[in-house]
Amino acid sequence: MKKRLLFGLVILIILVVIFSGMMLFKDKQYAWISISVAVLACVPFFLQFEKRNNDIKKLVLIAVMVSLSVISRIIFTPLPGFKPVTALVVITAMYFGSEAGFMTGALSAVISNFYFGQGPWTPFQMLIWGLIGFFGGVFAKRLLESKFDLAMYGVLSGIVFSSAMDTWSVLWVDGSFNVSRFLTTVIASSQFMIIYAVSNVIFLLLFSKPIGKFLDRIKTKFQL
Amino acid sequence: MEILHIENLSFRYPKAEKYAIENINLSINSGEFIVVCGESGCGKTTLLKLLKKELAPAGEKSGKVFYNGLSQDELDDKVSAAEIGYVLQNPDSQIVTDKVWHELAFGLENLGIPTETIRRRVGEMASYFGIHDWFRKNTDELSGGQKQLLNLAAIMVMQPKILILDEPTSQLDPIAASDFIATLQKLNRELGLTIILAEHRLEEVFPIADRVILMDKGKVLLCDTPKNIGQNFGKIQDDHPMLLALPSAVRIFNALQIKDECPLTVKEGRNFLDKHFSNFKCADVELDYNYNNEVAVELKNVWFRYEKDLPDILCGTTVKVYKGEFYCILGGNGTGKTTSLNVISGLNKAYRGKVIVDGKPIKEYKSNSLYYKKIAFLPQNPETVFLKDNLKEDFLEILEALDVPKNEREEKIIKVSEKIGITHLLNKHPYDLSGGEQQKCALAKILLLEPTILLLDEPTKGLDAYSKYTLKTILAELKKDGITIIIVTHDVEFAAENADRCALFFDGEILSADTPSRFFSENNFYTTAANRMARHLWSHAVTCEQVINCCKKSGGD
Amino acid sequence: MKAFGNYHPATLMIYFISVLLVAMFVSNLVLQLLSLSGAILFSVMLQKRSEILGNIGFYIPLFLLIAITNPLFSHNGVTPLFFLNGNPVTFEAIIYGIAIAVMIVGVMIWFKCYGEIMSSDKFLYLFGKAIPKLSLVLSMAFRFIPLFKRQLQKVNKAQKALGLYSSKSFMDKLRSSSSVFMAMISWSLENSMDTSDSMKARGYGLKGRTTFTLFRLYSDDIVLMTLCVSLMAITFTGIATGLTDFHYYPYISNLNRSPSAIIIYIAFGTISFLPFVIEVKEALAWKYYISKI
Ligand SMILES: Nc1ncnc2c1ncn2[C@@H]1O[C@H](COP(=O)(O)OP(=O)(O)OP(=O)(O)O)[C@@H](O)[C@H]1O
Ligand SMILES: Nc1ncnc2c1ncn2[C@@H]1O[C@H](COP(=O)(O)OP(=O)(O)OP(=O)(O)O)[C@@H](O)[C@H]1O
Ligand SMILES: [Mg+2]
Ligand SMILES: [Mg+2]
Repeated sequence: MKKRLLFGLVILIILVVIFSGMMLFKDKQYAWISISVAVLACVPFFLQFEKRNNDIKKLVLIAVMVSLSVISRIIFTPLPGFKPVTALVVITAMYFGSEAGFMTGALSAVISNFYFGQGPWTPFQMLIWGLIGFFGGVFAKRLLESKFDLAMYGVLSGIVFSSAMDTWSVLWVDGSFNVSRFLTTVIASSQFMIIYAVSNVIFLLLFSKPIGKFLDRIKTKFQL
Repeated sequence: MEILHIENLSFRYPKAEKYAIENINLSINSGEFIVVCGESGCGKTTLLKLLKKELAPAGEKSGKVFYNGLSQDELDDKVSAAEIGYVLQNPDSQIVTDKVWHELAFGLENLGIPTETIRRRVGEMASYFGIHDWFRKNTDELSGGQKQLLNLAAIMVMQPKILILDEPTSQLDPIAASDFIATLQKLNRELGLTIILAEHRLEEVFPIADRVILMDKGKVLLCDTPKNIGQNFGKIQDDHPMLLALPSAVRIFNALQIKDECPLTVKEGRNFLDKHFSNFKCADVELDYNYNNEVAVELKNVWFRYEKDLPDILCGTTVKVYKGEFYCILGGNGTGKTTSLNVISGLNKAYRGKVIVDGKPIKEYKSNSLYYKKIAFLPQNPETVFLKDNLKEDFLEILEALDVPKNEREEKIIKVSEKIGITHLLNKHPYDLSGGEQQKCALAKILLLEPTILLLDEPTKGLDAYSKYTLKTILAELKKDGITIIIVTHDVEFAAENADRCALFFDGEILSADTPSRFFSENNFYTTAANRMARHLWSHAVTCEQVINCCKKSGGD
Repeated sequence: MKAFGNYHPATLMIYFISVLLVAMFVSNLVLQLLSLSGAILFSVMLQKRSEILGNIGFYIPLFLLIAITNPLFSHNGVTPLFFLNGNPVTFEAIIYGIAIAVMIVGVMIWFKCYGEIMSSDKFLYLFGKAIPKLSLVLSMAFRFIPLFKRQLQKVNKAQKALGLYSSKSFMDKLRSSSSVFMAMISWSLENSMDTSDSMKARGYGLKGRTTFTLFRLYSDDIVLMTLCVSLMAITFTGIATGLTDFHYYPYISNLNRSPSAIIIYIAFGTISFLPFVIEVKEALAWKYYISKI
């Protein structure tokens, strides 16, 4: 009962925050809503993670995977867009489940932006990389079994990532969904979308097997 | 008062045929300083980990461990975490957080101690260990010695009753190592802390222990005071490999077989030699060494720094190493020994000065011609040499990269493995090997390149005395084949026994290269225990063997 | 008085959130200009001279790009100036482009300042209480990143000395770098298990964990926080009551120049210039102090 009350209260507060923001920032209300939603959508995942009694080894492994994806993003700085981050997030999810996937994705975004610069894009990167990890965990079985599915998942994540960022920037700049600006942005960033998709596929196919082998080895050697 | 009691403890790793430790019975009193020693793989780490329930490895365990009369299952989690402190083998990987102050507070946070108390305890500990200067630094900016001190301090803030340490000084230079041990001794004396320490380098810890536990193949061979072990061990088993590991004074005593009390420390050894040999002077050792005049490696006024706005690491370094020579570089932690090996092997580029290998400037070697049949480099961390998850595959890959014909590959691998003695390991994963085995396998891999110049960075780190002895024979054989060997080491005994010439790295330069006899006899701290013991009689005797020979020749008693 | 970065993380976070809310979501031109100039002044104080030049080289073209391209996307507005490809280019769209550029550049510079000021330990402190487990994971990651990077360098060197990087062909290079990267991953995973042992040995996972921090709330912090919150309350009242309402389409609205609106501008201006003022004061204090020694 108490739990339900608390839950209701939290929902109420969230709604109040969003609506008062909408009233305040009339002509930027869509930007406001989208950024609030991005932040708030991460919250339940984080709280769930906090509540659960995780194995220490799993905690450390998430930290390792986050560090690896941040390092990979730093190493590949000279090639814009061509990054193994998504691949590492999906691989973590495939072997350790949705929750680990979400955490790895979301935390990689926050931490790597300590090196690349935070901005209004941080919450979106967190949510999207997190969700890519989450669904990677949901479809883990299929992704592990079929190379084709894995590649398709890579392409899809590239497209989703790129278009979500475009949508946000249009909403923010125009205060509404300006179709012509959206199309231009999509065209302008289409080469990035392609690079994202291609790099995801390449890195997923290249890494999933060897890293999977390492992870399996760790799992048996240290009894995870 | 008994603080730890071990009863019939046996343990077997999953899928292992043999027990890693078997039927251990021990009783440890509060305030004791215990040293655990034994060959690599005899089960020291396994035993120590079993003493702390959080770290007990998974496997088949029987027997019991009691702490203050309580068996491990009955022991409260908080008590166990706080009162049994454990410093792991690798100083780098046990640091959890990114800031020094947070690392110090980490254990206390876990125990749920309020912030104000944490502040006080952390402050006290930081001043005790002299950490206040780097209290706010990132943990990653610390030197090896600082990291090890931090690990100790991070345990000590939890106010443990027992401190367990697994080879805590293996990465430290001799001076830092003896400082660290002095700190432990102080903690033992001033706080009455019970200390259990596993070590390969026994020179300093052996004499200060209350009891020494000597393990052999998973069993306790001897558990006695150092005095008794020194006195009797050599008589019970006169060919046990662990005899090589004992401190110099004991080894000299054992070799001379004089009826007297066994000396342990340098001071006692000195008195012992005085008592029996001061009236019988024999000539001093004078090993003059004839070198080949051809130069293998030469650095001429070399300057190097890592980045534009970082300080110089090499400042006008000048060295000449002759063909077929065994050249040894000693020096403190973080002075630049590894860096200078990297410069010699062309991995770091000097911004001024010349590096000449085999008569040719290093710049003129194109692509990998420098690394095939010329220079080979065994890095400080041997695990960095392996890429594959199976040793043999790893070896095959490197041969493929070198364009060795397919039919010769297998043969080459077998030849090298037999030479080094690792044939039985070829099908293992590199990370499943012990430190010593890793070291040997890495050496085998670089020998596949058929080098004429071998650079070894701290090859004796973490090796037991017997493996060191094997390494010594391997290196002697390579030297016989005409290979030039340059090693960097913290192990003064190893340097004294093997080197043709030794040099000290200090302040960006390589100083005073000379034969070990002359090099060590002029140093006060950077010298062997044997030399410190015997220098007033034979000033140039630096190894145990030399001292023993001198004694024998002078025929005292 | 201390430099801005030395304030308590909570104070700083409240400050940045308040400024960024206005900078990102309010379209009043005056407030936007105040925010941009505050950001520029602050970042000038934080950065070295060479960096400032580089930033000018980056932000001015960005500003122009945003300002100029807006009329191409947006044909709203009632004052067409000329036609391009049959589409009207309006006066309002041009002004809106400039306003948008002011906003975007302003927000970006504010975030840059945020990055300089809110170092990882401040960030971790703020979230350490709310999400302790995650913030520990973050702290571990900050520890691992340099450690793994160093390991990667070591593997790289070791392999180079084995002749691995000798080939000039692109495919070989790619192959060797990826196998080095793999070796680093494998090492990291293996080694991290020691870290988890070390955590367990020190009692991680026991009930009732506390969080320790070096940050303390001083009276300076409370003063700044109060100032910040009250000025922000004034600003938001103004925004909520429509005093600062401003729109560009279909025609540009008149700027509200009533005394109450001016109070709002002053309030937000004070907030926006606050860090700059604090930094300047600190610098002067030092100069004065040194000249006295
Ligand atoms: N995780 C493991 N799985 C299987 N066998 C293991 C494992 N760890 C150690 N062993 C084996 O158990 C034995 C004892 O190992 P242990 O690490 O305790 O030796 P040690 O005395 O500490 O050696 P060193 O001096 O090299 O550290 C060895 O034969 C080793 O190969
Ligand atoms: N990649 C690097 N970038 C910047 N500085 C470095 C790098 N590697 C080493 N250093 C610095 O150069 C100095 C010399 O390091 P080096 O590793 O050569 O010492 P060392 O004599 O081998 O020490 P040890 O005995 O601990 O192995 C140290 O102060 C170290 O901090
Ligand atoms: Mg061990
Ligand atoms: Mg070194």
